[in-house]
Amino acid sequence: MKAPVQVYEPFRAGLPPLGRYWKSLWQRRTFISQFSKSELREQHFDSVFGQLWLVLNPLLLSGVYFLLVVIIGGRSDTTRYAHLTASLFLFYLVSHSLTGGVKSVTAGQKLILNTAFPRIMLPISATIIAIFKFIPTLFVFLIIRIIVGLPFGWQMLWAIPVFLITALFALGLSIAIACVNVYFRDVASFLPYFNRTMLYLSPILYEASSLKPKLRLMQYVNPLFPILDSWSRAVVHAQAPSMHKLLAGLIWAVAIFVIGTYFFLSREREFAVRL
Amino acid sequence: MRNVGLIYKTAIDRRPTLKARLNSFGGGGKQVRTIHALNDINLDIDYGQVLGVIGANGAGKSTLMRVIAGILPPTQGRVEVYGSVSTLLALGVGFNPAMTGRQNVYLGGLAAGLSQEQIEENFEEIADFSELGEAIDSPMRSYSSGMYARLAFSVAATVKPDILIVDEALSTGDAKFKEKSFNRLKELRGQDRALILVSHAMLTLREVCNDVVWLHKGKLIQRGEPGAVIDAYQEFLHVGKSAAVDEDL
Repeated sequence: MKAPVQVYEPFRAGLPPLGRYWKSLWQRRTFISQFSKSELREQHFDSVFGQLWLVLNPLLLSGVYFLLVVIIGGRSDTTRYAHLTASLFLFYLVSHSLTGGVKSVTAGQKLILNTAFPRIMLPISATIIAIFKFIPTLFVFLIIRIIVGLPFGWQMLWAIPVFLITALFALGLSIAIACVNVYFRDVASFLPYFNRTMLYLSPILYEASSLKPKLRLMQYVNPLFPILDSWSRAVVHAQAPSMHKLLAGLIWAVAIFVIGTYFFLSREREFAVRL
Repeated sequence: MRNVGLIYKTAIDRRPTLKARLNSFGGGGKQVRTIHALNDINLDIDYGQVLGVIGANGAGKSTLMRVIAGILPPTQGRVEVYGSVSTLLALGVGFNPAMTGRQNVYLGGLAAGLSQEQIEENFEEIADFSELGEAIDSPMRSYSSGMYARLAFSVAATVKPDILIVDEALSTGDAKFKEKSFNRLKELRGQDRALILVSHAMLTLREVCNDVVWLHKGKLIQRGEPGAVIDAYQEFLHVGKSAAVDEDL
């Protein structure tokens, strides 16, 4: 009988045959999609509003910040409010990818111990869920943008490459943290504090241009800094982002994705023993 | 399988207190236990063979199946697998209790390696086999454990790989469903497929298998004709031949 041969030998850290791995992952693309959708549905399964929460969440979030910035803060600068909501929504794409990714492998114990499949599917699924959650926020932001009367322009199309860079960055982080959490379970407990710190260190509650000169170093050490600034330039100000910031965001995203994926793929055959 | 062994280490926390945990930062505290889950296993399984795997709890049966399926890497030796492998090691792998039975047929089937088209083609057969009726469109959270197991087995039995590994999956559902699933397994036998069954149901193994291996504490004790190996195993356990022993040891 002519049949594909699989050889299993003692685990050594190193990459599996990438061609075969990619083929196997591609064959499972429908499962990744269905698995992500079912996980997303489960999150709001028992609630009255169900999937409507995907729109209600960003609406309520923007409502809270409207209360803080415009009503309590007394600022009539609607551009600032638009910047805050747009940046916050994109930040949550990364944040949701991290929080979903961190336990994606450890929570997938039943699947991992009983089926042979590319384990990277689990953190990928976490990022897909984060993207599913992000899409409705775009419509919410569009409505806010129309209400506050910001100008539209072709330069807003820069949002597409910025989104793709963010998705790659979020995926890289999700893959990396899912792997780290297999070995150091404390990571999941540290994550909320890490997320909160990143929120304050990124140009969300303030614009990048208003940063004090002595704090400018942040834009080089915080990967989210150039990404969020480029996003705000494109979707709020309808301007082309600065090329060096876009490039910096891309380099960060590619670096995190490559390092995270290498780390994950070289260890994943050992996961079943660690769970 | 050539000289396959699997050793893993597990930490023992004798006193799981905060004080003990703080002390362990200094280097002491935790004890590590080495477990030889599999020890120097040599095994050849050919197409057309139905191999039964028996042994007491903790013998290494499930671990051996996971090594063959490529889920657990061996720590020594080498395994060569010729053909596609499907595992039925646990029921309901990939299922999401918040989804309906219908949605879980797709989820479970995709998790088992079936394509969307294959599931669509076989959906009616799966639904009929599970005998769930209209409950197929209810959330699985509302299912009894028997209904859950019936749907899970129905999905898993649709996969027709070159090598099928089944671990204790027969002990699901009521007597009628057990008989149905037993007959399905007999249908899956064939010259173009290898079937590996892990079970404590000795009568089933005597009837279905043409070869049986007996594992004990990670070692292969005996291999051969089902009757002889099962008799030796039962003698070792000091249990006589009775219907109860044959069905669920």
